Amino acid sequence: MAASMNSSVKQAGDSHRSANRGARLLAVGGGKGGVGKTFVTANLATALARLGKRVVVVDVDLDGANLHTCLGVPAPQRSLADFVSEREEDLGKLLVDTPLANLKLIGATHGNLADAQPSHLRRVRLVRGLRQLDADIVLLDLGAGAHASVLDYFLVSDDGILVLQPEPTSVENAYSFLRAAFYRRMRLAMVGHGVRQLVTMAMDQRNERGIRTPLDLLREIEATDTLEARRFVDTMRVFRPRIIVNGARTAEDVKLGFAVTSVCKKYFGIDAEYLGYVNHDDEARRSVSMRRPIVDLHSDADVSIYLQRIARKLLGLPATGSSAGAESAQSAEGRVRADDGEGRRASSVRPGEFR
Amino acid sequence: MIGIDELDHYELLEVPRTATSDEIARAYRLSQQTYGEGSLALYSMFENTDAEAIRERLDEAFRVLSDPEGRAAYDESQPVDARSTMPPSDSSAPKNGDAQESPVAVTPVESIDEVLDDYDAFEDDNGGEFDGLRLRRARLFRGYEIDEITEVTKVSGSHLRNIEDENFGDLPADVYVRGFVTAYAKTIGLDPSAVVPSYMERVLTARSEGQRGRFLGRN
Repeated sequence: MAASMNSSVKQAGDSHRSANRGARLLAVGGGKGGVGKTFVTANLATALARLGKRVVVVDVDLDGANLHTCLGVPAPQRSLADFVSEREEDLGKLLVDTPLANLKLIGATHGNLADAQPSHLRRVRLVRGLRQLDADIVLLDLGAGAHASVLDYFLVSDDGILVLQPEPTSVENAYSFLRAAFYRRMRLAMVGHGVRQLVTMAMDQRNERGIRTPLDLLREIEATDTLEARRFVDTMRVFRPRIIVNGARTAEDVKLGFAVTSVCKKYFGIDAEYLGYVNHDDEARRSVSMRRPIVDLHSDADVSIYLQRIARKLLGLPATGSSAGAESAQSAEGRVRADDGEGRRASSVRPGEFR
Repeated sequence: MIGIDELDHYELLEVPRTATSDEIARAYRLSQQTYGEGSLALYSMFENTDAEAIRERLDEAFRVLSDPEGRAAYDESQPVDARSTMPPSDSSAPKNGDAQESPVAVTPVESIDEVLDDYDAFEDDNGGEFDGLRLRRARLFRGYEIDEITEVTKVSGSHLRNIEDENFGDLPADVYVRGFVTAYAKTIGLDPSAVVPSYMERVLTARSEGQRGRFLGRN
């Protein structure tokens, strides 16, 4: 593992985002396909753009790229695959316009499936290049699975966001993703070879030392080296994955976010943050087939309101505040196409309700 | 310093040290759902024995904190620094100084109550008014059975059902209804100061119009 990626991964956790680090990097993962990662990413990007941020959304899913479809962009001729295969060094040249102002896309079409995962060095350059893009926010749509490259994008990002759905397979995948990310992060934080090996061993759930949980591991490290243990705990404190529950139908589903953060606290000892939830909405499905983000199509639909709230939270804005004002200010330039929605529920949304 | 075996009773239940007994009861309820058998959030994470151990610790935490004397004795036994440095609103803050902030300031979803309120608002297009139907929906939405409310409030199930059904004729005098609704709201985690005036308005209107024992729900 090259040292440069190590240090950039560490940097993301250890030192906090400084003003000069360029675009803010957000990674949206979830371990499992079909939980709505791409739907959430496309709509958060749209919502952030509508809030006046210059946003670039990047499809990192070289195996199953379809972010462009959700955004209503024809399969781009240039894509991340050109960068991965070293045909193009300048990420800026891969940017494609979307129908929305402030929102650009780097697609992942035309990948060479034989080497869909970029090499390590390539990933380092990619992350560096992304931060240097002329944008306020760069959103990465991570592919499914917990491949090392996916984990690294998640870990180097300023915000690692996990999307899960209220169903066992999704929850299981989210946890195994978190587990993999956690141990990878911890191993990078450790300095000594012996302690690193201990972390590697702990990643195997059937290890001979009987280390079953991160806390068992911490105990082992404490017994070996208190300085490393201190590092371990410090790293734990700044490892803060963010959770979005997608497809919530009941209060039980909404509570899943709290339950998962509680379990993260008691299992990993980490503070996950429940960023928000998005309700289940058949209209959202239709918006995908209409190839337009629902936030753009029907900004006042329930599902859009939830998505916009999450976007506002990401910016540290009050969940609603003057969204109406910001929106009307944005609508002129923020949308190329006029809203052809029927204004569903417009009257039922009362100001101050989504405090 | 950070392991589950070192969490104190408040941290286990994820409540501030200043939590009221209602807040503690609700936090315990939520934890029972989170760590109960078959909980989705536990799936693939904790083995049965571990989950059982957590449940036992949660039970113990609730047993101590739900008893005023037990809680006082417990608070007394806690080290002074834990008591004084713990910010009331954030039980998850690191205990031993040099707290590190999140890389980027993000406000997470603050509390289950906030979510429930929002969700209610979506579920219910009925403005700010709390009628019996809305109370019933709020109760079901929060997963409470009538019996459970009776257990906590000592208000009989038939009164509670009459409140939900707005059978004002079968309910006792206003002052009692007010007390029942207050207890009902508190138990399921609604704000009585929002619920009670709204509901009582309905009671008084109906009674002044001489409507008795009739279902006045919206549907």
